[in-house]
This record gives sequence, structure tokens and C-alpha cells, in this order.
Amino acid sequence: MTKMTVLEALNAAMAHELEHDPDVVLLGEDIGIAGGIFRTTQGLQNRFGKDRVIDTPLDEKGIAAHAVGMALYGMKPVVEIQFSGFIHDCIEQVMFCGAKYRWVLGGEYSVPMTIRAPSFGGIMGGIWHSHSPESYFAHGSGIKIIAPNTPQDAYSMLIAAIRDPDPVLVLEPVPLYRTLRGEVDVDLPVPEIGKAEIKRPGADVTALVYGPLTHKTVEVAESLSKEKNIDVEVIDLKSLIPFDIDTIISSVEKTGKLVIIHEASQTMGFGAEIAASVQSKAFGYLEAPIDRVCAPDVPHSYRVGDEFYIPNKDRIRAGIIKTMEAVY
Amino acid sequence: MSTQTDKKFTGNPREPVPVPLSRANELDIRQVLDSEGNVNGNISDPNLSEEEMRKFYEMMMLVRAIDDRGWKLQRSGRIAFWIPILGQEAVQVAVTCALDDHDWIFRAHRELAVWLLRGNSLEMMFAQFYGAEQEPLRGRRLPCLIGSRDINLISSTTQVGASLPHAVGAAWAAKLKGGKEKVLIFFGDGSASRGEFHSAMNFAGIHQPPVIMVCVNNGWAVTTPLDRQTAVDNFASKGDSYGVRNVRVDGNDPLALYTVTKDAHDNIEKYGPTLIEAVTFRLGYHTSSDNPDLYRHEQECELWRPWDPIRRTRLYMENKGWWDQSKEDALITLHQDEIQTAVTSAEAMDIPGPASQFDDVFAETNWMLEEQKARILSEVSEGSSDD
Ligand SMILES: Cc1ncc(C[n+]2csc(CCOP(=O)(O)OP(=O)(O)O)c2C)c(N)n1
Ligand SMILES: [Mg+2]
Repeated sequence: MTKMTVLEALNAAMAHELEHDPDVVLLGEDIGIAGGIFRTTQGLQNRFGKDRVIDTPLDEKGIAAHAVGMALYGMKPVVEIQFSGFIHDCIEQVMFCGAKYRWVLGGEYSVPMTIRAPSFGGIMGGIWHSHSPESYFAHGSGIKIIAPNTPQDAYSMLIAAIRDPDPVLVLEPVPLYRTLRGEVDVDLPVPEIGKAEIKRPGADVTALVYGPLTHKTVEVAESLSKEKNIDVEVIDLKSLIPFDIDTIISSVEKTGKLVIIHEASQTMGFGAEIAASVQSKAFGYLEAPIDRVCAPDVPHSYRVGDEFYIPNKDRIRAGIIKTMEAVY
Repeated sequence: MSTQTDKKFTGNPREPVPVPLSRANELDIRQVLDSEGNVNGNISDPNLSEEEMRKFYEMMMLVRAIDDRGWKLQRSGRIAFWIPILGQEAVQVAVTCALDDHDWIFRAHRELAVWLLRGNSLEMMFAQFYGAEQEPLRGRRLPCLIGSRDINLISSTTQVGASLPHAVGAAWAAKLKGGKEKVLIFFGDGSASRGEFHSAMNFAGIHQPPVIMVCVNNGWAVTTPLDRQTAVDNFASKGDSYGVRNVRVDGNDPLALYTVTKDAHDNIEKYGPTLIEAVTFRLGYHTSSDNPDLYRHEQECELWRPWDPIRRTRLYMENKGWWDQSKEDALITLHQDEIQTAVTSAEAMDIPGPASQFDDVFAETNWMLEEQKARILSEVSEGSSDD
């Protein structure tokens, strides 16, 4: 066990895969000499060379497109998009080429590429440096989406993504990169993509969350337990496509109440899909309407976005209390 | 906005390349001034009046003073982010001065001078840096990304290069609708790698709209030097493949920049669109989140310092007898005072509240937004933040 930040854990995961699998290459803007603007790949070009840790031109679509070609041939490219606000230029290449090749080519080819997307807000980054891109990708098919938010998950889940035979989008928690440090056991088995984790068991209401908001939600749960005697079960979704319906349903069967929390804007946000699935599979257990605490359908503003766009603790708390008080 | 903090050096920066401006003829770079401010180049001095030259010089100096103050405000934590201009003052000043005020300018991320040259105030500029409710963009955009319709200045969308086709499209529309405006866009060497650059050039070549595309080649895109960005680092020549007239110019020579831009502008009916490559250098950090010590030899900056546009312009003006140390000292004091007033005024302004983010999503709001807004306002205590 070693203590690492989220950033160090991601770096260690990439180093491990570069070392053990000659098919793995990294591509991205500025990732080489300085290790990317966040320094996630720091030191890797020196260690593995310029042919495996590749500085690309400033062209997100081009990066994704060439990685698709490399993956078709049998390599495992790991692409860094500098900020997930700039990922949309890749959508045709990732969603309509990379994520479809297996199907349109009759299962004869695959595209085992990983896209690392530094995501989520909290650094006063404004509209494109505070972005949650998951819905744009979740609506397609053929790409998995994960959102690790601890050093251990960052390490293990990035390795799982790189080894996965299909495209995987990794939503990395920018605001936690350097601020969250924790134990990482590099010998743990590589996790299966698609498993959620109960972060805090509780009996009264289920709070389902992913990304950096997971930590805020646990804090809110602790204070609600002390102040209002509300026992919140917090589930960290960790994987969006596929998502762990069994863990969610058994929690809802126990609590009868569900609040979904995410930073992405509300309409067609991932919470909508979860709410639809839960009501169809656990309708009889629900004691209150499923609530969503998420960003409004507006862009993230530089000055007020971190406070009022991303759900803050006041809003998470209000959502949980409202659900607890809902009467039928 | 903070992305990284460590100073640990890991890279092996490439050896500094010679300053292309010192080989202007060989590299087909239009130039009036040599590094010592003498008229010694391959195109003739436009012979601007003393008054016009003072305007250039004083604006470049003001931009540098703003840049210096903005950097310090960021470093002391009073604003969250800063985008330096150091060393690139000439392009934005000379190019803007070659246009008419009704011409549209699409900006990239370093052009603060346009705002002031077109008559907007220093107070409102600093209000934008502070994200005040009163500034035209209402605190929505990162510091430095100013823009305002009253001066025909369109702020960058942030996705670098993405607005190139918007500039071409706007110019094309002006042509179709018989508008008198011409359109100019600033973009960087890195931005030229995006598909939009090629698309914009292709459409511009075919439809010949009144557009001028200024590639501000400052040698770097964050940590990426030119040789990693393109195998042909003559950006102007890329216009040839699309049938777009193109010119390479010394980007630290306001006289050459003015000459070339004015020519492209005044003869646009004859020439059609022009791609101008302004060869300059980013002496400073990429942004306040950057640390060039990780990827660039300081020696490279040293090579560029003699080519500093402000230094060259001052030498030119001194040779003409238009400038001296006492004028310089007075100007510096004046700028410090003006900037201090602007800072004080910006700090007294209001911060936008949570409701303001719901404005301007559509021309008219709708029930979806109203419902979300009502809920957020009822759940947050204004001004409260939890971390
Ligand atoms: C599409 C996109 N990708 C990445 C970024 C992050 N980014 C901001 S500025 C920049 C470099 C731009 O280089 P260049 O166009 O040469 O302009 P310069 O910063 O040198 O003025 C990058 C990569 C961005 N803003 N947009
Ligand atoms: Mg550049």
C-alpha cells in the first residue's frame, strides 16, 4: 500500500500498463515534456520514449480519429483530452466510428481505446473547463463510461479501462486530482466495469451520486444523521455504462426513497435514465417521487458556476430532506 | 483557475531555435524595423505621423502595464486566472488600428488592446477580470476573455480555433447582404491544427468573403513547440493550398503589421480574403496555470528580448526625436494611476447572484428554466458556498 493523490494514481496506472503491455500508447496535447497541463503523465515520456507517450497537434478530433485507427490495428491507445469541454469535437470519431466499428463490421474488429477526460467543475474554470460530458456519450452505444473519484479507483479502474476490449470514456475528477490523497493497493484484482459501491450504508433514503460530488454527499449524509437523525445510504455509481442496477434496486427496496445527484445539467442528464429504470423495476417500493439534484440547463459561469451551478451542500441537503418529507 | 502547482522539472526542452525575425528575407517575412528600431527591412516605412506612432506606442505600453497588474492580481489571489500578453503587444495594436471601427473582430485569448482602442473603458475591462455583474459578459467568462457588441468585438468561445469558420461565415453574410463591414479573426499557431482552420480556408478560398485571418504565431501552444504542431511551420503558405492570398509579417514590428493589414483591408475587393501570419513570441507563461520552466529554456526568451516590439518601437521613436525618458516616466505613472482607479472601481462592483446564470439562455425563458431557477433560489442562500 502506498499513499497517492488521484493524479499520482492515474500516472501509476498508465506507467504500469505501458510497462507490461507494448500495445499501450498514450496520445494527447502537451502530455510529453511537461506531463500534460495537469501533470498526469509527468515523467512517462522520459521513461517510455516519444513513440509511446506521444505529443499531438492541437486537434481533438484528429487525436481521437488516429487512435481509432491504431486501435483497429490492435494497439491500445489511451487518449488524453485536455479538458472534457473540448471533447465534443471528437464525437463523430468516438461515437459514430470508434464505438460502432465492432457492430458495423460484424464483430470482426474491435476498438480497445481509452479516452481520459478531465471533467467536473470546482476550479473556477467557467464554461469549458468545468464540464460533465457523460450524457453526450451515454446516449450512443458501444462505449463504456466510468467515473472514479478516489485514488484507489483511479488506479484500478483506469487499468480496467485500458484492458477493456471496447472503447471506455474515463471521467476524471479534476477538482480532486491533487486535493485527495489515499491508500492505493496496486495488488488488488482489476475490477469489473459496471459495479457501484455503497459509500455509507443507511436505512432511510438512498443518495446516488458519481464523481467528486460523492464526497460532498457523504459529508451531507453525516451531518443529516447527526442533526436530523436521517440515515442516508450513499451509493457511488462509479460506472455509468453499464450501471449497477442491482445495487441501486436493493438499496431502494430497503429505503423506499431515491435522490440522484450529478453535476451535469438536468435535462437528459444521467439521472433521468436511472430514475426511469428504478421506477420500472422497483415501483412498488417507492415511497416518494425520485428526486434529482443537478445543474440547471444553463452553461457553467466563471464567477458563480462553482457555487450555484454545481450542486452545493445546501442543495444536496435540501433534496434529501424534501424527499424524506414527501408525503403520499 | 488552477491546474497545477509543482515546479519539479522532468522534461528535456529542445535547444532554442534562432529568432526567425533575424532572417526575415530568407523566411519571406515582411519587416520594416530591425531589432534596433532602424528602418532597415524589406518593405518601406509607412511613415505614420508622430500622433499615430504615439497612439501605437502608448497602447502597447498600456497593454503591458495591464498584463503586469493582471498577473499580480492573479498571483495574489484577487482574480482566479490570467492570460499573459507579454511580447505580443504589437499584433493586436497595429492590426486593430488598420481596421475601421465597424469591422468585426473575432478574438482569440490574448487581445485586450482591441477593447481600449475601440473606446471602451479600463474600468469595465477590470470589471470583467473580476467577473462583476456590471460588465457586458456578466462574469460568465474567464478573466481576459472580454468582448462587447458595442465595439464589434466577439469574445472567443474558448475552444481555440473553433470560431474561424464563424468569422468566414459572418464575412460571407456581410457580402451577401451588402454590409460594409469586413471581418478579422485572431487565432494561434496551435489553433491552426484544428479542422476548423482547414474548413475556414477552404470556404474562404471558394466564396471570397471579406475576411482577414491573422495567425498569431507565437512559437508555442501551451507546452507544444511548432515542430510538434506542424511539419510546415510557415503558416501563411498554408493559404496557397486553398487559394487564399497570404502574407508573412514580423509580428513584433507594428509598422510592418500595420502596412500589411491595411493593404489587405483596403484592397479586400481586389484581393479577397488574406491569411496573415504574424511571427511573434510568447515571452510569458501560457496562462497563470502554466509553468514554462518545465518545458522551455529561458535562453530562448533571451534570444527574443532584443526583438521586443515595445523596445523596437521606442528606439524608432527616439530616433525620430518623438520620445525620451521623461515622456516614458510620465506615461508609466499615468498608466499606474489609471489602472489603480480601474482596480478600485472593479473591486467595488457587485458579484452576480445565482439568478443571473439563467438569463440569455434563450431570447425568452421557458417553464423548464423557470422551474429549475425557482428551486435553486429556494435552496441556496445567496453568496454562501460550502468549500
Ligand atoms: C479545442 C481546444 N483544445 C484545447 C484547449 C486548451 N488550450 C487553451 S489555449 C491552448 C493553446 C493554444 O495555442 P495557440 O493557438 O498557439 O494560441 P496561444 O495560446 O499560443 O496564444 C490550448 C491547447 C482549448 N482551449 N481548446
Ligand atoms: Mg501559439
